[in-house]
Amino acid sequence: MRKILLLVIVLPFVLLGCSDNFEDFNTDKKNPASVPPEALFSNAQKDLADFFSNTNVNINIYKLMAQYWTETTYIDEANYDLVNRNISANIFSNMYLRVLTDLKEAKRILENTEVLPALEKEKQNKIQIVELLSIYAWQHLVDIFGAVPYSEALNPDNVYPKYDAGADIYNDLFTRLDAALSKLDRTAGSFGAADLYYGGNVDAWIKFGNSLKVKMAITIADYDNTKAKSAIEAAYPNAFSSNDDNCLMPYLTTSPNYNPLYADLIASGRHDFVPANTIVDVMNSLNDPRRAAYFTEYGGTYVGGTYGYSNSYSQYSHIADPIQAPDFPGILMTYSEICFYLAEAAERGYSVGMTAEQWYNEGITASFDFWNVSGVAAYLAQPDVAYSTAPGNWRQKIGIQSWIANYLCGDVAYNNWRRLDYPILNLPEFVDNYSDIPVRFTFPINEQNLNKVNYDAASTMIGGDAVQTKVFWDIY
Amino acid sequence: MKKLSVFLAGLLLAGITLVQAQTVRITGTVTSSEDGMPMPGVSVVVKGTTIGATTNVDGKYELAVPANAQTLTFSFVGFKTQDVAIAGRSVVDVVMQSEAVEMKEVVVTALGITREKKSLGYSVQEVKGDEVNQVKSSNFLTQLSGRVAGVQIKSNTNFGGSNNILIRGATSLTGNNQALFVVDGVPIDNSIPNNSGQISGRNGYDYGNAASDINPDDIESISVLKGAAATALYGSRAANGVILITTKKGKATKGPQVRFSSTYSISSIDKSTFPEYQKEYGGGYGKYYYSDPADGHPGLEYYADVDGDGNIDFTVPFYEDASRGEKFDPTLMVFQWDALYPESPNYLKATPWIAAKNGPETFFNNGIMNTHSIEVSGGDNNTTYRLNYTFFDQTGIMPNSHLNKNNISFVGSHNIFKNFKVTSSANYIKTSGKGRPSTGYSDNILSSFRQWYQVNVDIQQQKDMYELTHKNITWNPVAYDDLAPAYWDNPYWVRYQNYETDGRSRLIGYVQFDWEILSGLKAMGRYAIDTYSELQEERKAVGSSSGEFGVGRPDVTSGYSRLNRDLTETNVDFMLNYRKKFGLFDFSALLGSNIRRNKVDYVYASTNNGLSVPGVYALSNTVDPMDLPQESLTKIGINGIFGSVSLGALDTYFIEATLRRDKSSTLPSSNNTYLYPSVSGSVLFSNIVKQDWLSMGKLRLNYAEVGSSAPALSVKDVYLANSPFSGNAMATVPNTKLNSNLKPERQKALEAGLEMRFFNSRFGFDLAAYRNENVDQLMPVSISFATGFSGKWVNAGKIENKGIELALNGTPVRTQNFSWDIVLNWAKNENKVVELYTDEAGNKVTNLQLAGLQGGVSINATVGQPYGTIQGTDFVYTNGKKTVNPENGRYYKSSANNIVIGDVNPDWNAGLRNTLNYKNISLSFLIDMQKGGDVFSLDLWYGMGTGLYKETAGLNDLGNPKRDPIVWVDPTDHSKGYAPNSGGVIEDGVLPDGTSNWVRRNQENYAAIGWAQDPNKRFVYDASFIKLRELTISYRLPKALVNKLSLAEASISLVGSNLWIIHKNLPYADPEASQAAGNIQGWQSGVMPATRNFGVTLNLQF
Repeated sequence: MRKILLLVIVLPFVLLGCSDNFEDFNTDKKNPASVPPEALFSNAQKDLADFFSNTNVNINIYKLMAQYWTETTYIDEANYDLVNRNISANIFSNMYLRVLTDLKEAKRILENTEVLPALEKEKQNKIQIVELLSIYAWQHLVDIFGAVPYSEALNPDNVYPKYDAGADIYNDLFTRLDAALSKLDRTAGSFGAADLYYGGNVDAWIKFGNSLKVKMAITIADYDNTKAKSAIEAAYPNAFSSNDDNCLMPYLTTSPNYNPLYADLIASGRHDFVPANTIVDVMNSLNDPRRAAYFTEYGGTYVGGTYGYSNSYSQYSHIADPIQAPDFPGILMTYSEICFYLAEAAERGYSVGMTAEQWYNEGITASFDFWNVSGVAAYLAQPDVAYSTAPGNWRQKIGIQSWIANYLCGDVAYNNWRRLDYPILNLPEFVDNYSDIPVRFTFPINEQNLNKVNYDAASTMIGGDAVQTKVFWDIY
Repeated sequence: MKKLSVFLAGLLLAGITLVQAQTVRITGTVTSSEDGMPMPGVSVVVKGTTIGATTNVDGKYELAVPANAQTLTFSFVGFKTQDVAIAGRSVVDVVMQSEAVEMKEVVVTALGITREKKSLGYSVQEVKGDEVNQVKSSNFLTQLSGRVAGVQIKSNTNFGGSNNILIRGATSLTGNNQALFVVDGVPIDNSIPNNSGQISGRNGYDYGNAASDINPDDIESISVLKGAAATALYGSRAANGVILITTKKGKATKGPQVRFSSTYSISSIDKSTFPEYQKEYGGGYGKYYYSDPADGHPGLEYYADVDGDGNIDFTVPFYEDASRGEKFDPTLMVFQWDALYPESPNYLKATPWIAAKNGPETFFNNGIMNTHSIEVSGGDNNTTYRLNYTFFDQTGIMPNSHLNKNNISFVGSHNIFKNFKVTSSANYIKTSGKGRPSTGYSDNILSSFRQWYQVNVDIQQQKDMYELTHKNITWNPVAYDDLAPAYWDNPYWVRYQNYETDGRSRLIGYVQFDWEILSGLKAMGRYAIDTYSELQEERKAVGSSSGEFGVGRPDVTSGYSRLNRDLTETNVDFMLNYRKKFGLFDFSALLGSNIRRNKVDYVYASTNNGLSVPGVYALSNTVDPMDLPQESLTKIGINGIFGSVSLGALDTYFIEATLRRDKSSTLPSSNNTYLYPSVSGSVLFSNIVKQDWLSMGKLRLNYAEVGSSAPALSVKDVYLANSPFSGNAMATVPNTKLNSNLKPERQKALEAGLEMRFFNSRFGFDLAAYRNENVDQLMPVSISFATGFSGKWVNAGKIENKGIELALNGTPVRTQNFSWDIVLNWAKNENKVVELYTDEAGNKVTNLQLAGLQGGVSINATVGQPYGTIQGTDFVYTNGKKTVNPENGRYYKSSANNIVIGDVNPDWNAGLRNTLNYKNISLSFLIDMQKGGDVFSLDLWYGMGTGLYKETAGLNDLGNPKRDPIVWVDPTDHSKGYAPNSGGVIEDGVLPDGTSNWVRRNQENYAAIGWAQDPNKRFVYDASFIKLRELTISYRLPKALVNKLSLAEASISLVGSNLWIIHKNLPYADPEASQAAGNIQGWQSGVMPATRNFGVTLNLQF
């Protein structure tokens, strides 16, 4: 009896030791092990648009670099402090970790998915659209840093990816772009509603691809005129032809899918930015009617904060209200932007169907249209605007007007400023020389620790990891 | 110190040596029962007289006693006092019996096994329960600080906050480095349930560590197992050391014993840990507001007609949260924040421009703590029981902060059969918190007070306005005509409207049987459970300033979030223990198994884009459809078997070996089983070299390996879902690449120790030296973002910890009525990150960032450096001196921000405890010390820049206000130098040519000092401190009085804790303050001031 009782008490302790299925413990029950590629593609589109739209001082300071805006109280970024907030690392993080990885994964899943023969073309279209968007992102990385890990990038098995020369990356991107364009098939569908930019419209993507080709080609025009010429002449007839073709992100009114600009300017409750005197003064001198779309008035006029100096928020013009709406679209590429590239191409002697002046006028007109501002004819007639009479050489004329037209697209303006050397920017408080204005961003500091050998090689390759080192296409 | 003690002891002994005229001569020899050796220095006194003598070195004495003398009294420290009848003898030899406790010291070791301390080959240090429960606080760990060598306890200043507890340094690069807590054999969860944003310095709350649920009133003793050899039987989680707690049990007594204890204490702000403000300049960032300098007040705004009288008025730049504005001038009338609100008595009135009468230091009130405990215990030879209830209630020094705990525990055991005992224990703990202080950089009142503030703002006026209106009437509106809060809310609004509440309901319990199967063979089985459910609710009332909040941390102006976390851990242990003496050999063996299951279920959800209806804190009250909640379910299983064998010979030589094999669910199934051994040995050399003065001497040596497994869900890659966009699913690849080839990580530990006691254990020390190596660390190593991932799980890296620990104790004085005990604990740990990750090609990762923090600094594991380097920008040095820019007098700073500018690890820690007893009065105090360790102060980095602190104003070397403009004798020719009325300061350093700096730095705006222009290094401070951690004076009521009151015992104590920071180098803050426990230390932002606590405790035993 006593022994039985003992057993009864002791046995459960032994039985409790029965093993569970450990494999099951290692399976995440709350996150998917597989997802449709569309979900990754949509996500990458949003991340890409978020990156270019936001004005977070940790991530996107291009609106400052272009001197569209300046800061009110905390003026570090307007003074080109890239280090304090690890801005370069955040650009890497946004482009590689978010956009490019998701696109690569979407492509991998698409390629590995067997589909019915009838859907093969649609699958191909999807793959090529993913490709176009990747190329767009890659170009930006090269333009900002001059050289980046490319051929060995996006592979976690190789944790020390080497940097490729910017010119080599561009070459490969051109090849990939042509290949993608050649494989896109207008007769088939693509992502449908999962394509947040174009609703799966393959025609639109073909125009996007050709416009991207124009953009890439004009960027390297000083570096490789022959290639730029042939690429632009081949691409322009199929590029954007009106604002209807613009590549925009249709943000929603509610969190977390509203424009990050709204998050930074309104939801944050902060008042960190005012329009910079750099652009406001130029637009004032041109009596530009787009000011009403760009800025608010202060005391009956438009007053920009002194670029790179402390500015009292209450005593300057502010950013116009519609821009601060939650559903203000994210701008990735516009017809106006392409027009100015083509004006420039015409000046460079490329055959682009119209004269530089015509494209210049078209670009300004498209910008007025985009911002829904009237009075373009009168504006174009002003001697300081009219192509024949506006001051300076073509670089200056196109530089100034494309800068005004590309408002908010600081990345585009920053590229153009580096290539055309116009507009003339203002010096912020803590920068003594014009030549100290960054013409590229330094590599992320953490690359010096995490990828040192390749970082060192890349620094040597580009001529020093400094903000004054010009990227390969920035010849003048 | 030791010499002094010996001297004092000698003096004392000499003092009672008296020689008198005699009539009868008595001689004798006094020997020790322990070893039969003669005992010198034993006091021999004729009872009832002062006649006496002491024994000589041979233990002999000689004494002349009155003829009528009956009895001799023999006494010696550490031995039982004996009265011996003379009975007419002339030779009286005596054998002194040692006081049993001293020599047969037993300690609790791994798995709750009690062992004779002398037989252990590793270091175990014990703390008695009354040491940690004499001073009451919300977290008993605070009271453990300074009491154990090698245990570093960092008590931060957060109300109800978490304590960082490291034993022999950090061993894991990215894992949990906190010690394991085991109560009566039951591992107790010690999660720090703060969210990742909070830990890395954004806003949030410190919810304390879960081990603080342990009720100090239940603690009988604490054993600290420091090295791997001591903890090896705990398996995977032993690498960080173990705090073993034994709770009080019932004892066989006549009738129930009832104890009652009650403490009431008051806490107040320690002003040495709070800013001292300048009182010369008001709100603003510089002298650039007013565009027409003719009127001469460029630090004020001059564009608005506030009162509508048609004239432009001077206004404060309301939205600026800084104090580098206009110089105070009582004759200057300015429209300040209180002129903007109709409810304000100063509505539309200008007031004199002066410093506030009541600064932020008046924001704090006195906190009150009450804790009451009642215990009933008892039993007989077959049954024992103990029931305890403790009530704890505390308010903090911040308004509307409150902690409450109810803790009820019962433990009972019964011998079902003669050799079969069943024990059952249950401990239910209910804790609730309300209004914990916010921590971190943003949305934290203290970061406003320390970094972003206008010294013209009167806090009491803010209070009055809040109490009058219950509205967010802030000093920091956007503009005179836009009263939305710019950055900061009225602090009272925040305390009374935006408070958090939290609660945890927890059950810890076990059932256990102990069966003595045969003589020497025992079996033990135990089923233990620790389970709790926790709720954290955070609120942001409609009308607050915008700030990061909720899931995804978007900026919102109102919201509600809730976090539910349910944890259950079960442990089933089974153990067979055999012990037998064979002649001179003492053999014991152990065989056991442990099955552990741990499950954490977590959901965190918040409203999106604000609250629809003010005051309703429910998820359903969201403005936009809710964003996806965060949800996780993790399960960990470990099956372990273990065994140990130990052998003692001649009661002098001891050797022990253990082996444990674990199978862990968190590793890939192909590689989830691992073995690790330990071996330890000791020699009680005092049994070999017998010396009179040497009571005990032991040498010990051990080597151990401990394996440890990965966190849950590190093996199989998944995707993460994001909120759908217009009905489209959104998914992303996570930033950390998991790894299906992980293997266990390993700690290899070597330890040697020497323990000696002298003069019958009156003095002693325990010295330990160790070296631990943690290799094959499981970690998400940082990798180049260009790989598409920021981290990748690998087995890599090596951390080395080596150190020395010394525990000294002594009793310099012990007489019948007076004694003085000293305990000193000192420990030095040197930590080094030896290696991080090397790939097949030999490329090495040399830095692992643990956190990137506000201010541009980061906390890192850097190869060749201690774990926890502070990196940021440094000065630029010329010949070792800081270089100043000759253009503007500012320091140059390095272009890179990854320069090592500090190390969070202290050089050494020490605790010194003195206890003085005189009759019924006892006084004890504990001094806690830390030498070294660095901390970056974001508070001063910003606060100096914004001109809050007193150093930012006042006069310069020329006797002019620092903030006056710089004036040259000839502005076009600087070689003529500065005018005698020049402002500005000259920074200490050299110019680029190496000559001493003479260039003045402008102090007029925020580039004067701090974040805008200085290197981070300037705000790295030495975190050394000396603190009077505890002071207790107790009075035990005399027996006679106690009996009259029908009590068995009664005492009353005055207790104080953190009374005085005797020394520190960090201005205006407690060097121990941090956002929370964890691996991210060495950074302070918006930290709470320290509190001093005074209290009174009453203990009654019926």
